[in-house]
Amino acid sequence: MSNFEDADTEETVTCLQMTVYHPGHQQNGIFQSIRFFNREKLPSNEVVKFGRNSNTCHYTFKDKQVSRVQFSLQLFKKFDSSVLSFEIKNMSKKTKLIVDNKELGYLNKMDLPHKCLVRFGDYQFLMEKEDGESLQFFEIEFSLSTRPLLQENNWLPQKHIPECGSYSSCSTQNNSPIEMGENEW
Amino acid sequence: MSVLTYHFSEPQPQLPSPDPPQPRPTSSRELTAAVPESDVTMEIRLSAMERPLTVLRVSLHHPTPGPATFANVPPQLEHDTSPLLVGRGPDAHLRLQLPRLSRQHLSLEPYLEKGGARLAFNLKALSRKGCVWVNGLTLRFLEQVPLSTVNRVAFSGMQMVVHIEGGTSLEAFVCCFHLSPSPLIYRLQAEESDEWEIIPQEQPLSGSGQQTPGHLGFLDSPSQPSPGGAPEIQLQREPPDSALC
Repeated sequence: MSNFEDADTEETVTCLQMTVYHPGHQQNGIFQSIRFFNREKLPSNEVVKFGRNSNTCHYTFKDKQVSRVQFSLQLFKKFDSSVLSFEIKNMSKKTKLIVDNKELGYLNKMDLPHKCLVRFGDYQFLMEKEDGESLQFFEIEFSLSTRPLLQENNWLPQKHIPECGSYSSCSTQNNSPIEMGENEW
Repeated sequence: MSVLTYHFSEPQPQLPSPDPPQPRPTSSRELTAAVPESDVTMEIRLSAMERPLTVLRVSLHHPTPGPATFANVPPQLEHDTSPLLVGRGPDAHLRLQLPRLSRQHLSLEPYLEKGGARLAFNLKALSRKGCVWVNGLTLRFLEQVPLSTVNRVAFSGMQMVVHIEGGTSLEAFVCCFHLSPSPLIYRLQAEESDEWEIIPQEQPLSGSGQQTPGHLGFLDSPSQPSPGGAPEIQLQREPPDSALC
């Protein structure tokens, strides 16, 4: 009990939820290096790289069409804010990176919106930030979507991959159009 | 526009450092100057296949440097487009031996503005305990600012002036380091005034590599036309000691 009372106060941690989709992920194993539904803790000054090269990238995609370093994410703190924000940067010379409707060329960067869709090639990433108090660490958690994210009625990621391997038999998705407000996805 | 050639000759022997030799970061490469260090003019050539590199001319000054403070600072350093780390630790690309300096104290990160053709740079504070003063702004941990053409930076007693000369290469950039015996950031005499004071820069003594004492020890800019002197520099009031990082 004394350890509990004497321990440092825990802080909540900023977490970036990334839901990924690629049409060929099942056949090609492009996400085989990704640990899904696992919160990975990283130091807040880390520049997190995504790409094909496992020597330089923290998260890799087994796909020759992916650049050795495709894009990077890093945290920063805005002057007028107490929470951390993400910045995304296109590191690919060949492929544009699309964040919502904004196109980033090589070495272009931008603040990552609180919730946004990031795309390059056939890859789709729905990224959503959960704010936290800690300035020392942050977390990234991947989820897998077996349906395209760039569709009006398919924004909700599937948290559980069915053992049968067939998504549709276990689907709880509502296939009717969902009404959304102006500022919502 | 300045362009830079670099020679892949053997590096010049450096002053002995008290620290054991560390493996160099792979994203950086020390370069020997094309001409002796004392010569303020660098000959610049460009092969047909190369684009001119962006050059960061970095002047450094510490009022009370130790024997090892600048021991690991090369004359030039070529770096790729990853952030260039400045600090005390072995992972730093620009290593400065100061006890109050964090292992990773700040970074200079190249990027491209939308529609831009030349590298721009962001300075980010990486020290959890210290801060970085940049062009009048105090940055705390993870705060960042884009750099201008000329930038005054202070941290842990160190003064640093960074002058960016844009090139069109998007592969890498080069830092040229100059150690100044004179302070680089001055306090204005009228302390109650916050107005900008423009003081024309005097010509540096040619060939000596020494700075005119009592004046702004500034960068050598061979590519700049200087009919009557180097470009005028706007001095900024030195922040009060409590605000210095």
